[in-house]
Amino acid sequence: MFIQHIVGLFIDPMRQWEKIRDQHKSADGGSVAHIFVLAAIPAISGYIGTTQVGWRIGVGEPIRITGDSAFAIAIIYYLALLVGVFSIGWVIHLLGKAYEVEKPLSLCIALAAYAATPLFLIGLMEVYPVLWLNMLLGLPALAYTVYLLYSGLPIMMEISAERGFLYSSAVLAVGLISLVALLAMTALLWGMGLQPVFTN
Amino acid sequence: MTNTETYNYTVVRQFSIMTIVWGLVGMSVGVLIAAQLAWPVLNFDIPWLTFGRLRPLHTNAVIFAFGGCALFACSYYVVQHTCHAKLAFPALAAFTFWGWQAVILLAAITLPQGITSSKEYAELEWPIDILITLVWVSYALVFFGTIVKRKIPHIYVANWFFGAFIITVAVLHIFNSAALPVSLWKSYSAYAGVQDAMVQWWYGHNAVGFFLTAGFLGIMYYFVPKQAGRPVYSYRLSVVHFWALVFTYIWAGPHHLHYTALPDWAQSLGMIMSLILLAPSWGGMINGIMTLSGAWHKLRTDPVLRLLVVSISFYGMSTFEGPMMAIKTVNALSHYTDWTIGHVHSGALGWVALVSMGAMYYLIPRLFGRELYSLRLVEVHFWAATIGIVLYIASMWVAGIMQGLMWRAVNSDGTLTYSFVESVQAMHPYYIVRTLGGACFLLGAVVMAYNLWHTIAGAKPVEVEIPEPATAH
Repeated sequence: MFIQHIVGLFIDPMRQWEKIRDQHKSADGGSVAHIFVLAAIPAISGYIGTTQVGWRIGVGEPIRITGDSAFAIAIIYYLALLVGVFSIGWVIHLLGKAYEVEKPLSLCIALAAYAATPLFLIGLMEVYPVLWLNMLLGLPALAYTVYLLYSGLPIMMEISAERGFLYSSAVLAVGLISLVALLAMTALLWGMGLQPVFTN
Repeated sequence: MTNTETYNYTVVRQFSIMTIVWGLVGMSVGVLIAAQLAWPVLNFDIPWLTFGRLRPLHTNAVIFAFGGCALFACSYYVVQHTCHAKLAFPALAAFTFWGWQAVILLAAITLPQGITSSKEYAELEWPIDILITLVWVSYALVFFGTIVKRKIPHIYVANWFFGAFIITVAVLHIFNSAALPVSLWKSYSAYAGVQDAMVQWWYGHNAVGFFLTAGFLGIMYYFVPKQAGRPVYSYRLSVVHFWALVFTYIWAGPHHLHYTALPDWAQSLGMIMSLILLAPSWGGMINGIMTLSGAWHKLRTDPVLRLLVVSISFYGMSTFEGPMMAIKTVNALSHYTDWTIGHVHSGALGWVALVSMGAMYYLIPRLFGRELYSLRLVEVHFWAATIGIVLYIASMWVAGIMQGLMWRAVNSDGTLTYSFVESVQAMHPYYIVRTLGGACFLLGAVVMAYNLWHTIAGAKPVEVEIPEPATAH
């Protein structure tokens, strides 16, 4: 069922957001369990990419990391993605008070999860970890995620487009700040000795 | 009762127009040197076109020429309107304009020739430093003179921010530029060794904290409520925000000198103060965003308001990023990499430039008695600027992290995995993306200049009478 939603978000996003909303409002309720599947895409792809294919910086042999080390990183990566989606959903729920809308937490998490779909799917490219190529592919995916957020939020939360614009901007700002926090945390962990083990 | 006294708009108009002109100049130089980093042949082997000479020209042009003119224009406008008083000392006010333009021209002449004190953001040699001091003292006299003349008993919070900015910049400039001249265009710093470095970054970080933050917060506290048509969300928060900010910023400088000869306790102090700084910074951001949030119904019709929303969001983002980067462990990775450049530009492009441009869209139509030529073009500007900033900071994040990791990578035998030049080579694609981002932002500024040019063309300068203050509050 979530496959239909995902396809729909690429073909006719507005109508699909309405469907997702109505499903979450219905008696049986919608599920957000598909996040566990989607978040696995970048984690598994990253594992394959860093252990089997390897990446090149400048000149020289491709760099790979050991299986054990990559496995640990993949698990942390998977958990970080899940925490990211759930916490953004939670922030959407909290911000609702400032924008005078009260929606169930599951609906807010669904909004965060479905908006992030392009990013999860493009995670597949991590099997071939060439930074500039990944950036080239990642940017359109990021742009589409932002578009989905701005178009989906007013529909899901049932507020006017103007108010939705501010609300979405606030969510985006929180997203950016989480990204910076993630960067800083990576640097901190790396500095504390939890860096990957290279195969060379 | 006939009160025919009018506001002094002449000097505000002059500074506003030069804000746009210097903005275009400074950003063009920025795009050129960004392109030079991606394609070094673009310096054509001409000494004064090389990166080392043009980089200080870029920073001086965007910070002191573009940002400075915006601050002069906005502070002169705001202090008159919130005090219901004409600018004090009109001759000195005119001197601040012509004097400041002379400083900028002298900078544009000396820096490409390689005449520099080699202090970052304070490169200008001692004769120009003396001229800056004269202009700045005149600025303080005009600004505080107007406050003294005020007919409104209360001093609005924006003026507190402007006042702190003017006083602190004077102190910083005089102490940091103290030097012993050996000839007309060469001098040596009055301090030596690590003391010199510490004075320099005490100045350097407070150039960010007071020139680029407190002054522009003054702009935010006047123009955001005006454009949104509603009062500041919390006036109490704005006052708390002011005192917390001015107290904390002044201590944060040592985070520029982590893991150097600076004593370790001073580094740690700088780090702690930088972390504390998050609280007042976010207090200001929340105040700005919440003021705008009440005006959500205007967002569709008012792209200027959208520009201001984005600028305050970037203020929030970069003031979160700053404290993170000041943590010593994070700094060990991020320092000397392009992550720093990205951080500076998320503040400079995202916050300072956008809030100034928003203020110019508000000011210029009022100074010339015209409607803005095209709201559609403001919309184009908004998108070009936003996309440009995102490209810029995203590419610098990737580039910076990569540099940091490459520089510290070691082989199992303890030798370095990469030579420095390999890390330079790896930067090429990101430098291209950064150039694109900068070009996008410049394109937005060109659209703004075109739009404002059509707004002004053929208009007569406006004279506005100073209203009588309400008798009872």
